[in-house]
Amino acid sequence: MSRHGRFVLGALGFALAVFALAPAGSAAAADQDAKKTAWDGNRTTPAHLIPLRDENDQPIIPTETNPLPYSARFTCGPCHDYKTIQGGWHFGAMTATKNGRPGEPWLQVDPKTGTVLPLSYRRWPGSHDPKAAGLTAWDFTLLFGRHLPGGGPAEPSDEGVLADRASRWSVSGRAEINCLACHNKSGRQDHSEWAKQVLRENLRWAATAAGGVGEVGGMASRLNETRDVYDGPNLDDHEWAVAPSVKYRTADFDSKHRYFFDLNYQPADDRCLACHSVSAKDETQWSADADVHSTAGLKCTDCHRNDLGHAIVRGYEGEAAETGNRTAESFTCRGCHLGENAAGEKSVVPGRLGAPFPKHTGIPLVHFKRLACTVCHSGPKPKEGFTRGRTSRANRLGIYGVATWATDMPAVVEPVYAKSAGHKIAPNRLVWPAFWAKLEGKDVKPLKPSDVETAAGDILKAEEHIGQVLVALTQVMAEDEIPVLVSGKFVFSPNVDGGIDSAEHPGAKAGTPAFWGIGKGAEVLPLVPDFDPAAADKDPAVETRFQEFLQALGTVVSAPGQPVIVVKKTLYKLVDGGLDMSDAPAELAGAAGPGWLAEGKLAPLGSDFDIRTVTAKAGTEQTLTEEQVALVLAALAKSGEKSDFVYISGGRMFRLDKNGKLAAGAHPAAEPVTWPLAHNVRPAQQSLGWNGCTDCHSGGSDFFFTKLKGAGPLLTKKVEKRSAASFMGLGGIFQRFFGLSFITRPLFKVVLAVCAFVIGSLVFLAGLLLLGRLAGFLEKK
Amino acid sequence: MLFTIITILLALGLFAGLAFHRFWTTREEARSTIIYVEIFKKYLAWLALRTIQSARKASPKDWWDYVKALPLWRLPDLEKWLFVGFYGSFAYLAASGFFFAIFVPRGLYGFPLVGHVMAGGLFAACLAVIVIFKGRNFISVPKPVNLSLALLDPRKMGITAARVKIAAFWLFVLAGFLLTLSALVPMLPLLRTAGQKFMFELHRYTALASALAATVYVDLEAMGARRP
Repeated sequence: MSRHGRFVLGALGFALAVFALAPAGSAAAADQDAKKTAWDGNRTTPAHLIPLRDENDQPIIPTETNPLPYSARFTCGPCHDYKTIQGGWHFGAMTATKNGRPGEPWLQVDPKTGTVLPLSYRRWPGSHDPKAAGLTAWDFTLLFGRHLPGGGPAEPSDEGVLADRASRWSVSGRAEINCLACHNKSGRQDHSEWAKQVLRENLRWAATAAGGVGEVGGMASRLNETRDVYDGPNLDDHEWAVAPSVKYRTADFDSKHRYFFDLNYQPADDRCLACHSVSAKDETQWSADADVHSTAGLKCTDCHRNDLGHAIVRGYEGEAAETGNRTAESFTCRGCHLGENAAGEKSVVPGRLGAPFPKHTGIPLVHFKRLACTVCHSGPKPKEGFTRGRTSRANRLGIYGVATWATDMPAVVEPVYAKSAGHKIAPNRLVWPAFWAKLEGKDVKPLKPSDVETAAGDILKAEEHIGQVLVALTQVMAEDEIPVLVSGKFVFSPNVDGGIDSAEHPGAKAGTPAFWGIGKGAEVLPLVPDFDPAAADKDPAVETRFQEFLQALGTVVSAPGQPVIVVKKTLYKLVDGGLDMSDAPAELAGAAGPGWLAEGKLAPLGSDFDIRTVTAKAGTEQTLTEEQVALVLAALAKSGEKSDFVYISGGRMFRLDKNGKLAAGAHPAAEPVTWPLAHNVRPAQQSLGWNGCTDCHSGGSDFFFTKLKGAGPLLTKKVEKRSAASFMGLGGIFQRFFGLSFITRPLFKVVLAVCAFVIGSLVFLAGLLLLGRLAGFLEKK
Repeated sequence: MLFTIITILLALGLFAGLAFHRFWTTREEARSTIIYVEIFKKYLAWLALRTIQSARKASPKDWWDYVKALPLWRLPDLEKWLFVGFYGSFAYLAASGFFFAIFVPRGLYGFPLVGHVMAGGLFAACLAVIVIFKGRNFISVPKPVNLSLALLDPRKMGITAARVKIAAFWLFVLAGFLLTLSALVPMLPLLRTAGQKFMFELHRYTALASALAATVYVDLEAMGARRP
């Protein structure tokens, strides 16, 4: 046999051997994997000194030039099956077959268009599917990635990446599941860094930066969409469009390039609270109490536990039946404290985690049938007008930096006691949705804020216009001066974001006509002082300032004309950079002050509409006026589509009637969105009922009778008003009557006690008599 | 569910028992034979006939006439209103309690519950007064004819209508006491959940006992009143 023949035969033999042994090999590997995932019984967390691998499954040498960020899929994946984890509660919303009890939706908040749109990939009542709302996975990731733990929409499949041509996944990379977001024990874990990296579109780098594994520089958001991660540094730009890069913290690597991850098997509470904090709006940190379970030393994950599948126990009654996870039965309030499942059967091991058995002395049974445990024990106590809360995800809490990320809007109110799917009343958090939509039959299809903005043109830019003028004037102000607009009771000044801040002007009346001025301490001087341009002894400094003002106003992007100042029939304007003073033309005879000269007419610096709009909204949280909504609806109607456009806010749906007037009405889409709350659990002494029945049952208790007014970005009196009892499906009249009956209840108890005593005594006497007769009868026998 | 079944079975049993008592003590044909099957057949025939006759006769007017003819209205004012309050409150308590317990899965709630609580207070007060002033009428027991199990004749066993009435009265009073107690105690900060559950069940079953006792008493009273 030739040498070639022997080689071919040998190769064939080898191939056959590989083929024959392959199943045995893969079976052995599967067995090995199963062994890896099975717990060996040791209760310690192993030290994680492991080699880092990048998204191409290549080992990372931290000292090499331009290393890639580490990939959790290939670094953690070899021991913790990544695909299994992908189905977890935090990552699997897009593919989940079961929705589970409603949770907090993602809220797309856009103050400019007055949008507060509840979104969820899970089909929860009141929440819109992001896809139906026009959001791609890319949009969703950029909007909410700040509080996403990676994976899910932030890690689309290859097909998903290719399908969305408008996205920039190829530049940003995908945000894989960030294991460190929860499991990192290191104090370097930085949620703010994660949010910033997401905003910079540095998605594949975000976990490395946030985990403190390395320092990440550059911004993918500033790079050309054709740029690739393998292109290395941007040689054309070292200042602005700098390509993201990572500089690893080499001190945490050993000589074999293994990185030490300081990990927790059970994530610490801080890691959960980064995204799940809830606080009352005006609460101070030092006065805030923790959940009673935390105070007792429990961690979030003691109850909210999971296996490798990361199907975290949410802890609500009925979860076990819904998910098939029997462990969930043990970690409801009833499971731990009473040893009962959702049906009330004593089938659960009670007292896990040292849960005390509640006495509930004197509480009538109906309360346990009709109310969730959380009604009396969780959330803030009911109070007049509800408690305004802020949540991490809705109000962007927990992200710190130069800019202020946290917002007051949207208004989340709690506790709203509402009847759940299980017909039990439970405390909920509530948000009123607000969005622009197309009415399609009975359904509403939300419009993208960007589409609304395009259609609205200048209608939604009142603040922007005023802000541009004020920011422009800032350039020529002295250190102790700020340009202001005074209108009505308010004085408007520019802020660092280019917008405007409003404050009440001391002593000003509501009808004060608008004027532009210069704020100097508490004093406001007019921008254009009263003087005679024709006077021989006029102050030359005034005209010098006029020149500065006009130069500054010339930088206003959206200026409708040339900036000019008219003072007593004298027109000041810039000609070739110099101040030109001339007689005002006859058309400007009645005009005065600064303005824009266009087509021979003087337009004020701020249009009447803009000033009227910002003045109306000053001092409120609202960002839209009824006039703006009517104009935008008209603009949308003119956009060419033959659709009925509506705006939803404060529990009402607004649309233009036949006469073009704004009309408000009810619609299911305007209903508030609620989701049950469970924390913070208060100590027993702070639970409802501790002070007696009248905690809830009285003629005017906040529990039943506090009023909830619809809230939204629209400044209007046409809002939905509801009583607390209406959310419970209970009649307010009955509850008031029933509450009042508690006034006479002590007397009632006394009457019953006296009657019971009298009847009981006589029954006892009759019993004695009967006993005597029986004894006599037996004696005779 | 268990309570519903027990209630229905006991109500039917009591109805059949009282009817048989009436048949046995008022109908000649009941004595025409000593064969139990024959007696039972005759009883069923009589029961069917009586049911049809009663159904044909019953009308709101007849009922109203019956109520108007009750000796209650001839009592002195104070006593009259005491009994009106007593019977009225008991009727409402029984009607609302059993209707909601049997037909409404949620149980008693809303305004009917408030009415039930108020009627309960009135009932307890009236019962206390009645037991104080009328209790002595139910102490003396007529001597039995004979004490023997011969022929299974209840009268020969010492079980007479008068004795049953007295027993029914005191059973009713005892049930009234337990009803009052089981309504009062859960309102006090004394019992934990298990105690509350026990009191709830006690309230239901004593209510059933009181209703059955009242039915026996009223039936025997009505039958006695009809006799010359």
